[in-house]
Parts: sequence; C-alpha cells; structure tokens
Amino acid sequence: MLLVVAYSRAARTSLRNVHRSHEESVVRRFGRVALFEFTELGAFLALRLRAKHPGDVGVERVEPFNEFETVPEAVREAASAYEDREQASLPYTAFADANGYPDPESMVGEEL
Amino acid sequence: MRVALVEPRETDAADLGGRVGRAEALAAVRGECDWLDCPAPGALADRVGVVAPDGTVRVRTALAVAARSRGLAAPQDDEVRRLRARLDDLDAERVDTAPLRERVAETGADVDRLRERVARLQGRVRALREGDGDPSDAETELSRALADLTERETTGVAARQALDHARDRRRDHRDAREERRRLDDRLANLERAARRHLVERVAPEFRAAVTSLDGTDAHDDAFDAPPVTTALALYRVGDPDAPVVLDCERFADARAAADWLGTPVLRL
Repeated sequence: MLLVVAYSRAARTSLRNVHRSHEESVVRRFGRVALFEFTELGAFLALRLRAKHPGDVGVERVEPFNEFETVPEAVREAASAYEDREQASLPYTAFADANGYPDPESMVGEEL
Repeated sequence: MRVALVEPRETDAADLGGRVGRAEALAAVRGECDWLDCPAPGALADRVGVVAPDGTVRVRTALAVAARSRGLAAPQDDEVRRLRARLDDLDAERVDTAPLRERVAETGADVDRLRERVARLQGRVRALREGDGDPSDAETELSRALADLTERETTGVAARQALDHARDRRRDHRDAREERRRLDDRLANLERAARRHLVERVAPEFRAAVTSLDGTDAHDDAFDAPPVTTALALYRVGDPDAPVVLDCERFADARAAADWLGTPVLRL
C-alpha cells in the first residue's frame, strides 16, 4: 500500500477530495493521512497530490507487518509478557531485567 | 388500581399510612405483591422513580421521556429508527490474522531451509559423479529433499493465500467499524436534537407545574427546583402508566396528590 501524508492545509483538503471521489483506491483515511491501494491508480492519485502540492505530500510504500517473519522471538515474547504483567506500575526496564527479556538499549540499535 | 392492604378496594388514591416501606411499595407497583393490582410502570416511572426529597433525576432527559409518555413524537424519530436498523445490520466478524501470519512465517522458513539443503545435495551428487564415488545414496536423499521442498512450497502458497484472504476480511471488518462509529455519532446527535425538541414542547407546562407547587419566583430556573417539586412536575406533565409512589410531605393526603397529578397515587 501507499501511505500518503498531507503536510499542509491545502494538501489535506485535496487528500479529502481524493478520498471522496476515489473511495475504491483509498483503503483508509485518518485525517491528513491515508493508505492508498498499491495499484497504478493509487500511485497516480498519490503522484497527482505530490505534483499539486510540491513539498507538502509525503508518500511511503508500506506493506502488512508479519512479526513472525521479521521479529526475533525474544522481542515478540517480551511484548506480550509485559502487557500481561501483574503489576501495572512496573517499568519495562525492571521487568526485562527480572525476567530475562531484552532491554531497550539492546533493541534500539538492532535493525529488523 | 386495586388495593387490598386492609380491605380490597378500587381507588386512584391510597394512603398506606406507613404500613409498607418504599422498597415494598415499588415492588408492589411492579406487580410483585398480591395486595396491589395496577398497570406496569413505563419509561417515565423507571426514570423518575419515587417522589421523595432524596430523589435524583436528570430533569431534561426525564422531561423528554414525560413528553413521550403522552404520545408526543420528535421529527427525528424516523431517521433514528432507520439508523438503528442499519447499525443492527452492521456486524462484520472480527478477524484474527496472527495464526495465519505465523503459518506463513513457518512455511517460509521451511522453504528456505529445504532450498539450501537441495543446493547442498546437488553439489554433493555432482562431486560424486565427477569423482569416482557412488552417487546413488546422495541421489535418493536429493530426490526426497526435492519432494519435501515442493510440498512445503505448495503449503506456503496456500498459507499466503489464506492470509491475503483474511486480510481482505479484516479490512471489511474495519470498514464496518468505521461506518458504525459514524452512525453512532450521527445517532447521538439526532437523539440530542429529538430530546431538545420534546423538552421545548412541554417546558411551558413543566414551568407552570413547578410554579403551581412552589409559587412564582421560588426558583430562578424551574429546571433547578428541588427533587420533590421536580418529580411531581414531571409526573404531572407526563402520563405515567403505573401509580406514582409518594414518599414526601407535600400533599395532605393521597386524594389531593392524585387530583393534582391526574394519575393514581400510593402515599406511604
């Protein structure tokens, strides 16, 4: 999919208009951000927005995230275990330390 | 209503003289005691409850209910019904794609592993053929690995398709949720407008009822009157189905209260 972000009021208005007139190409829109279908028409609409509002429209290519393909098991388990913790006020760093999960400093530099 | 506390009689004004408490009177009105036979409480009684100094009621909401109890309608009603029906039809199933994501990842990893194995075995078979070793064992292993690879690739394609399919369904589900949120907002706006409309229709009567109880100038705003006055005015404006239960000193007897309210009364 294409992630389209409007960085000006005028670009936001255009994005809203594109959503209205091309609902089938807009997967979802959240205010000034929208996901376009990864089709020629989706790209055409994104490029038109960029041409109309130079410098005010960001376009990124995004794809569905499969954590089982890209994220190490330790990180996946740390996330679900921490959200399952009994003590709501326990900071993650202390939790990771006590249970042998990766700490934020070690994860921050590790590219997926 | 028919009251059979001392002796059975048909009346619209019963002084219970402290023989029953508030909870029992309410239960009796709901039809749970054999000494009282009366129509069941409607929405107005549910909202306003007993007339008592400790009553709490949201006046405007209750006044709209009072207006409806008299059969008044709001111009928004049809649209509200239509939106409710649409909301009921909007029930897309929730889709959890996590197990499918996991399967795709597993088969993908298997395929990678088997491809490497096939490449390794192909190298070994070639080396044995070029040298003077016997390649037959390695060839058997290679053909088994190739069969495994084909099988895992097929499974992988199926898993990928299942995941794509589930993602489509999840998108439908999210579309439905977005639509539902929009309808909910619109419905809430319409209901507020309908309530305002109904309150405006009966507000003059409500103010008059408050004035008739507490006198002119007793309150800056009739909507801020004390609980007993508010509850009595609401019951007078509306048309409660069941007898009104009074737990207050406002009227000398049940007769006076029933006459003023225009509805049957049980006075504790």
